[in-house]
Amino acid sequence: MQPILFLIRKEFIQVFRDKPMLFIIFVMPILQLLLLGSAVSTDIKNITTVICDLDRTPSSRELMRRFQHSKYFDLEYIESDRKNITRYLDQGKATIAIVIPTKFEKDLLRHQIPTVQILVDGQDSNSSLIAMGYANRIVQSFSLEKLQYNLIKNPGVIRQIHLVEPETRIWYNPNLEAKNYMIPGIIVILLTVITSLLTALGLVREKEIGTLEQLMVTPLKSYQLMIGKTVPFAILGMFEISFAIGIAKLWYQIPIRGNLSIFFGFAFIFMFTTLGVGIFISTISKTQQQALFLTWFFLVFSILMSGFMFPIDNMPQIMQYLTYINPVRYFLTIVRELFLKGSGLSYLWHQVLIMTIFSFMVITFSAIRFQKRVS
Amino acid sequence: MNTRFSAIFRKEFRHIVRDPRSLMIVILMPILMIFIYGHAIKFDIKNITLGINDQNKTSASRELIEKFERSGYFIISAHPKNSDEVEQLFQKRKIKAAITIPYDFSETIKNEFRSKVQVLIDGSDSNTATVIMNYISIIMAHLSEEINYQFIRSPISVEPRVWYNPDLESVNFIIPGLVAIILMMICALMTSITIAREKETGTLEQILVSPIRSFEIIFGKVLPYVLIAFIDGALIVLAAKILFGIPIAGSLIQLTILSIIYLYASLSIGVFISTRVKTQQVAMMGALLATILPSLILSGFIFPIRSMPLLLRIISNIVPAKYYLDIIRGIILKGIGFTYLWHNTLFLFILGTILLLISVARFKTKLD
Repeated sequence: MQPILFLIRKEFIQVFRDKPMLFIIFVMPILQLLLLGSAVSTDIKNITTVICDLDRTPSSRELMRRFQHSKYFDLEYIESDRKNITRYLDQGKATIAIVIPTKFEKDLLRHQIPTVQILVDGQDSNSSLIAMGYANRIVQSFSLEKLQYNLIKNPGVIRQIHLVEPETRIWYNPNLEAKNYMIPGIIVILLTVITSLLTALGLVREKEIGTLEQLMVTPLKSYQLMIGKTVPFAILGMFEISFAIGIAKLWYQIPIRGNLSIFFGFAFIFMFTTLGVGIFISTISKTQQQALFLTWFFLVFSILMSGFMFPIDNMPQIMQYLTYINPVRYFLTIVRELFLKGSGLSYLWHQVLIMTIFSFMVITFSAIRFQKRVS
Repeated sequence: MNTRFSAIFRKEFRHIVRDPRSLMIVILMPILMIFIYGHAIKFDIKNITLGINDQNKTSASRELIEKFERSGYFIISAHPKNSDEVEQLFQKRKIKAAITIPYDFSETIKNEFRSKVQVLIDGSDSNTATVIMNYISIIMAHLSEEINYQFIRSPISVEPRVWYNPDLESVNFIIPGLVAIILMMICALMTSITIAREKETGTLEQILVSPIRSFEIIFGKVLPYVLIAFIDGALIVLAAKILFGIPIAGSLIQLTILSIIYLYASLSIGVFISTRVKTQQVAMMGALLATILPSLILSGFIFPIRSMPLLLRIISNIVPAKYYLDIIRGIILKGIGFTYLWHNTLFLFILGTILLLISVARFKTKLD
């Protein structure tokens, strides 16, 4: 026990002595959290728009005003020549172009159904669809008002109209804020990155510099070495996520409806997996560069396929099957459900079980391998 | 100068070749990433699990249910009887939304102006929830239109057209972005490590005793990585074309030249970082922090810059990936050329040159 404690102390001393490292361990994740948290917004706003009004009547100007007043659109350009419209899209000056045809007002009055064109820059398919939806909605509500105006003139007609409308209520995230979904994910990623990367690098560094040999001449047993080098990072990881949760709650006001102590329990189990991966990578790398790349490899794929940014349900079946062996996927689900829905063990036991099995397997495998290597 | 420079160059190359593992990862990983990214990322949301509580059970309500079934977006997978059951289903993640058709639906639909249908949506994934909300509104609007066909015909018709990516393929959007990220990653990461490693293992001192000048060291060490990054970039674009058939609308030559300028800027960042740090770990983390993170988040790769708060929008103006993203998407998807992209190119070139000059000037050729 004593040697392990010594090792832990040594590791902590080394960490705190390395000022740039300190910065990276403590400041960078927080920066990441703040950055990602603020940048992440799948809400589309301020879409630069160019409108070509070929009619220039009160009705067309009214429609233009709707776009001007909409918080979604930034009406920056008004173009009079239809031919120039595409240039705005080409140059990236505008994302969406609206063309109001000539005789717009005349056709409206005579019930001749004028056609409004909406041209959208399709590069970002997600935003394009949403932008188009918003633009469509503006035109449609303008259209509906005209319709209602016509209807009011014929009150008898209204009695014969029956509309079906949804009365929608959103649970768990009533304002549909993306950050409530993303920030728990970011916390998971922070934990994953810190524990796996620092463990792998820490172990390989000693190998590369040559101090590992010195450690091996001591009466230290290999398991003591392993524990001594991973426990500090486990502690750091726990500290990090506590800090991150603090920021999430205080700065971003993310709801935490579940039991936090259970959360830390789950995080503890999860950490065994990432620490195990770190150890494993250290046994197959000779240099820190290799360790970095290999850990990077692991991180990129496990984060990609975890459901963090791209919902797993949208992926093709094969990919979905692959995610079943990704431990991050389970922890991510646990964290999100715990935070937003207040789910407890009763709903999450499945995830927890699999995570525990994974952790056990990975750490055992890695430990054995490490033992063999160092002996 | 020629022989000294080429000596460093060849030495660096030997180092690289002698570490096949890193090389393999550098070349293999991007291709794998493209493969997985390209297939895994779909922004279109389908197969939405839906729960329906039909309290009316008439032909009218069945007509509404059928509309959901036939939409192609929903899968009706549960029939919750009350909101408690809905809560349970949400918690078990079995459904994402639940619809309750009121018991008097068939009456209200004949006599009232508005018939309300209750919709409950699991809002934890806000993006999906928004889309679900829109789908449901559209389906009910369609039903309304059908019921009242003679009276409600929209006075205005809308003709939407999508440019550059008519099938709204997510791949076309992601792949160019991926190329930018990967190139940045390789350049910044590898170059930042290279000089730091020599410092850490002590071999830099040995080089410094020789009559080599700082810019020779820096350029000699950096050039092999330029080549590797370039080959990698070409491989990625090739893979994208083969695996996903992404058409390149613009000029390949322009793409090549402008990409090299981007590589130049990325490398200079890596070099700059490595000349300021003492250990590899810090170099790596620094490279991560200064290059990969902003490139991923602030370049417009996934998250639209325009939707970000002002401070972040300002910071994004110094992220090289942002400029390159415009370039590569412009050339591949829009088919535009240098005439529209010159200011992006200029920025990258100036950034690269400034950083390199600073690095060379500050690189201490004395022992610490």
